[in-house]
Amino acid sequence: VFSYFKALAGMRTLTRSDLEPVMQQFRDFLISKNVAKDIADKLMESVLTSLTGKKMDSLTSLTSTVRRALDEALTRILTARQSTDIVAEISAKRNMKVPYVITYCGVNGVGKSTSLAKTCYYLLNHGFKVMIAACDTFRAGAVEQLRTHVKCLGEGVELFDKGYGKDAAAVAADAIRRAKELQYDVVLVDTAGRMQDNEPLMRALAKLVEVNRPDRLFFVGEALVGNDAVDQLTKFNQALVDHQSGARPQLIDGIVLTKFDTIDDKVGAAVSMVYTTGQPIVFVGVGQTYTDLRKVNTRSLVNALMK
Amino acid sequence: MVLEGLGSRISGALRKMTDSTVIDETALKEMLKEINHALLEADVNIKSVVQLRKNVTERVKLEELAAGVNKRKVIQKAVFDELCSMLDPGTAPVTLKRGKPNVVMFVGLQGNGKTTSCVKYAYYHQRKGWKACLVCADTFRAGAFDQLKQNATKAKVPFFGSYTETDPVKIATDGVNRFKNEGYDLIIVDTSGRHKQEEALFAEMEQMAESVNPTDIIFVMDSAIGQAAYDQALAFRAKVKVGSVIITKLDGHAKGGGALSAVSATKSPITFIGTGEHIDEFEPFKTQAFVGRLLGLGDVSGLVNT
Ligand SMILES: Nc1nc2c(ncn2[C@@H]2O[C@H](COP(=O)(O)OP(=O)(O)OP(=O)(O)O)[C@@H](O)[C@H]2O)c(=O)[nH]1
Ligand SMILES: Nc1nc2c(ncn2[C@@H]2O[C@H](COP(=O)(O)OP(=O)(O)OP(=O)(O)O)[C@@H](O)[C@H]2O)c(=O)[nH]1
Ligand SMILES: [Mg+2]
Ligand SMILES: [Mg+2]
Repeated sequence: VFSYFKALAGMRTLTRSDLEPVMQQFRDFLISKNVAKDIADKLMESVLTSLTGKKMDSLTSLTSTVRRALDEALTRILTARQSTDIVAEISAKRNMKVPYVITYCGVNGVGKSTSLAKTCYYLLNHGFKVMIAACDTFRAGAVEQLRTHVKCLGEGVELFDKGYGKDAAAVAADAIRRAKELQYDVVLVDTAGRMQDNEPLMRALAKLVEVNRPDRLFFVGEALVGNDAVDQLTKFNQALVDHQSGARPQLIDGIVLTKFDTIDDKVGAAVSMVYTTGQPIVFVGVGQTYTDLRKVNTRSLVNALMK
Repeated sequence: MVLEGLGSRISGALRKMTDSTVIDETALKEMLKEINHALLEADVNIKSVVQLRKNVTERVKLEELAAGVNKRKVIQKAVFDELCSMLDPGTAPVTLKRGKPNVVMFVGLQGNGKTTSCVKYAYYHQRKGWKACLVCADTFRAGAFDQLKQNATKAKVPFFGSYTETDPVKIATDGVNRFKNEGYDLIIVDTSGRHKQEEALFAEMEQMAESVNPTDIIFVMDSAIGQAAYDQALAFRAKVKVGSVIITKLDGHAKGGGALSAVSATKSPITFIGTGEHIDEFEPFKTQAFVGRLLGLGDVSGLVNT
């Protein structure tokens, strides 16, 4: 794609104006990979800043210099700074005889309930006892969807539900209490999908989080999403700040990236989401069955992006 | 509606150019750049954006425009035409015939709103006097039949489905036949979510279409989709005869540009949009009127006929 940028032989110090046309090409390239436009702009701006004034070996082309800098920037962004080892965290909490709670949130239809079921399968395989809390009390079929999963998942998992129309925060609290009594290791809390601009629903989510203080609050986002990824995450976090009363509101602390099997190498949503939150991708969904859950591999993600 | 957010950006760019005194190469470039930004932020397929820019630039060879010709008008029309052709597939939506058993099949990616939209579609038509009914041919997703059942019950629309049958083609065929015999004139078939990367799922969709011989196939697409929209839409169109598009979740913040890409890929018009989770949050969509409003030009016909 970039081959028409010939080596600028004899050049010594890179200036903004040398770099800008190449930057434009790379920015469009990132957008074609489904990185949100704003993020692509910011990324290229930071690459530009880092390269301006640098001395360049006259034998390497401008394009490959930029490419290397971008590769480094992407790797840095996508490398998790926080732990993503849920199993270790659950094991650590096991001795305290209180269940480890994970809450899933996100906009409609992204794969929250399915990812929750996949995580459940993964945790059952690690020997944990799991309770699933049906706190999507709104969407038709949401409870039956989880009940079906529980039936398929077999031993070691139980559904806690109160049907439809109930206050989700209260259902979650009941479920956690019950799980503690019955000595479950983990509670997975499913929530209804909600649009980030829907204030009453965002308020309800903040309440659920504030009341129950889950160990982890996962944001589920699909790899298909475009520019809206940035807005979704920004507004979910903002709503969590605005609508929790305590001084230390709990925010999103992990990302589940779903439908990774539907996008070929247009993997840019991963960059948009991690860049926006600074939070790691804990799991990647790569299909519709229980085993289609992966840990992220930063190198192959960057390779797919740069391809 | 959020697609209009895109519209106001574009018409803003056009107006800005109108306000600047001299229309030269720089002014044109600046305006196209702004329109580009707006389209990219709205998730319009990047190839289409590049193409639009190229086409407009080619059509508006400023130096060749004779003195006295209204340059602004020429530019505006070029932009308008390009956007129209992106949004308007040039094919009329499929018309359903009263009193005949019309079969309408819903297809699309996972979680994009098929089940919800199909009940909305049934409800909308029922209120207009159609004898509508629903067939749940999603045997894959956990709780799919319960979801359709609960929604259909709320909408008071008859439904057909099974908890035990695992072959969606069989359910679709049985359901359609049964409702045909019972004299329904709008039989709506809900199907599982699928994507182009999984061939077996596409083959199943083809078989189903062959078996129920639909009057229309509606491709449902989530307005938040990004650059993958075009390829997926194209792949669906290549397998089955998509005749209409429904864009969902426009009550969110997404500008819906992926949807424009879907239109250009399926060559089918957007007929309805979804604007919420509730059954009545569903509106008919008119492409021409929309493009007119999109550009804030009021009287569109004047432009079209220049
Ligand atoms: N191809 C693919 N499909 C997925 C993946 N994860 C989820 N899905 C599908 O996406 C659809 C929606 O999944 P759900 O888990 O119901 O999504 P949700 O976010 O819980 O939806 P709501 O509760 O309605 O907001 C289903 O058809 C899932 O099978 C994935 O990683 N790959
Ligand atoms: N806010 C909003 N939510 C919608 C709209 N249309 C559908 N949804 C929600 O999106 C989610 C997915 O919708 P479904 O109808 O289950 O999607 P689907 O395409 O049938 O999903 P699969 O059968 O799993 O492929 C649900 O939570 C719906 O309530 C809409 O226009 N606005
Ligand atoms: Mg769900
Ligand atoms: Mg469905």
